[in-house]
Amino acid sequence: MNAVTDQLAPPILEVEDLRTHFFTRDGVVRAVNGVSFSLRPGETLGIVGESGCGKSVTALSILRLIPRDLGRVVGGSIRFEGRELTGLDEQEMRGLRGHRISMIFQEPMTSLNPVLTIGLQIAENVQRHLGLSKKAAWDRAVEMLSLVKIADPHRRVHEYPHQLSGGMRQRVMIAMALSCDPQILIADEPTTALDVTIQAQILDLMLELKEKLGTAIIMITHDLGVVAETCQQVIVMYAGRKVEEAPVEELFDRPMHPYTRGLMAAVPRLDGRLEGGVRPRLQEIPGIVPSLTAPLPGCPFEPRCAFSTEQCARHMPPLERRGAAHDAACFEVDRVLEKSLV
Amino acid sequence: MSAYILRRLLATFPVMAVVAIFVFVLLRLAPGDPAALIAGDDATAADIANIRTRLGLDLPIWHQFVIWIGGILQGDLGVSIFSNLPVTRLIAQRLEPTLMLALATLIVAVSLAVPLGVLAAWKAKSLVDRIVMGFSVMGFAVPVFLAGYVLIYIFAIQLRWLPVQGYKPLADGFWASIQSLVLPAIALGTAYMALIARITRASMLEVLSQDYIRTANSKGLATERVLLLHALKNAAVPIVTIIGIGIALLISGVVITETVFNIPGLGRLTVDAVLKRDYPIVQGLILVFAMTKVFINLMVDISYAFLDPRIRY
Repeated sequence: MNAVTDQLAPPILEVEDLRTHFFTRDGVVRAVNGVSFSLRPGETLGIVGESGCGKSVTALSILRLIPRDLGRVVGGSIRFEGRELTGLDEQEMRGLRGHRISMIFQEPMTSLNPVLTIGLQIAENVQRHLGLSKKAAWDRAVEMLSLVKIADPHRRVHEYPHQLSGGMRQRVMIAMALSCDPQILIADEPTTALDVTIQAQILDLMLELKEKLGTAIIMITHDLGVVAETCQQVIVMYAGRKVEEAPVEELFDRPMHPYTRGLMAAVPRLDGRLEGGVRPRLQEIPGIVPSLTAPLPGCPFEPRCAFSTEQCARHMPPLERRGAAHDAACFEVDRVLEKSLV
Repeated sequence: MSAYILRRLLATFPVMAVVAIFVFVLLRLAPGDPAALIAGDDATAADIANIRTRLGLDLPIWHQFVIWIGGILQGDLGVSIFSNLPVTRLIAQRLEPTLMLALATLIVAVSLAVPLGVLAAWKAKSLVDRIVMGFSVMGFAVPVFLAGYVLIYIFAIQLRWLPVQGYKPLADGFWASIQSLVLPAIALGTAYMALIARITRASMLEVLSQDYIRTANSKGLATERVLLLHALKNAAVPIVTIIGIGIALLISGVVITETVFNIPGLGRLTVDAVLKRDYPIVQGLILVFAMTKVFINLMVDISYAFLDPRIRY
């Protein structure tokens, strides 16, 4: 997996201090509040966190797909191949979307247009960006369908989404997203809505295509299992902020943020039996994600945290380098590390 | 697809049969004796009886029905009681103005209302949206005859751009004919347009919030393509339905419009025939209108199958 990633190559995507706000009747929601990360060619970067932590909004912000009347990027910079995206006009953004940076979504059942054939939906992307003829674009659609291992692509290309199963539809989404050989594929919970067996197939397919095409992937998920299987670098988000970032092995070996530990403890495990064969109770993280309308003085995780101190309630812990390539935003990292993982 | 179309087509026959029976029975049950009307005030009972015999009104009702339906199946709608002319000929004479008026209204209304509805939904809550929806409320509120007289006053009497009244047949030239149709079509089409624009906006708004629209945008497609292909095709079923229902409203509006603009069409023929109790004409007209309606419904049903591949009854 690492063979594809060129650690020395300059990053193709650099996000710095990204801030995306939603303007609601109850006030400004700081959905993404100063997130930075970078992505190297061919790398798979995981963004994990609970629902509402800002991971999807981060992804939608990169492609500027948030409806204008709801919210927008209010600060920070997004550089793609050295080019600043926040200043581009809508026309230039359209040239990037689906061409250089593509996206697939959580709900394969509703993400494809029900009244258009899947062939048209793939071909129009190719025609739009690569300037191919209609005939060549349809040939490309068939080629993409066989690439994502849909049997009988010549027939399937003329079918409508309702004639396909959920797993097949997600394959079509992947085929569509990769049809113009994008540099980056953003996958927003691509397997969440699928059956477990189908999930594994889709992940395998994504990894295989990534090897083949060298596409960098931003994998957004709440599932640490998916992260462990697919990612090289992981970002943990909480309440619109990045609270921890590390290479995947490092993160699983030495999770430094109490929230990351909470996420890991909440994953059901088959091997984690106590003496006498009793399974430990599945740990949940108490409490809920805080409201993002009011600025918090302290650490947003403090009310739910087992390690919290007075300092945590009053001051925001800065994101600091805590080990080789391992950043965490927590005052109590040393205490957290002392406690062994369950 | 063709099986579906055939099924829809066959389903229209029972509907037409029921309409035929209904039309026949309804008019026989209506008060007033046409024989007495024809005979006039000074007629004796014997005169009236003679006329009844001549018109076949003295036969048992089922016998009258058999004669009537037999004629219809041969394309014979009977003979007008008063003018003694065949009903089919009377209708054919009046068909062109009404057909032209309905077509002009349909084309004007649909080609303006659908784009306006799409625009309003795309720019929802903006000034454009508010203006379009404001006009649409007004369009609903203004009755056809009022709109007609106001339009005549402004564009025909004051500005003298268009003829005040009357209809120029196509035989007098296409443009002359169109000119005579502009004002009636606008008057008749205003409420229809308002209805279509509203439904288009509502249907588009719902579609625009769907996941597949976000997908289309994530592919960087042009706005026109997202709106007019990805969104409008999904929003089309309710829009086409309302266009079909609206044609029924047009039929009743035609009667008023033809009166206001003095157009010698089917609407005027209907009013005259009803007032004189000219049964054969009224029956023939109701049948024609019903057939039109059934035909429109058939077209709407068939269009569903083209618009949404999931629809197969």
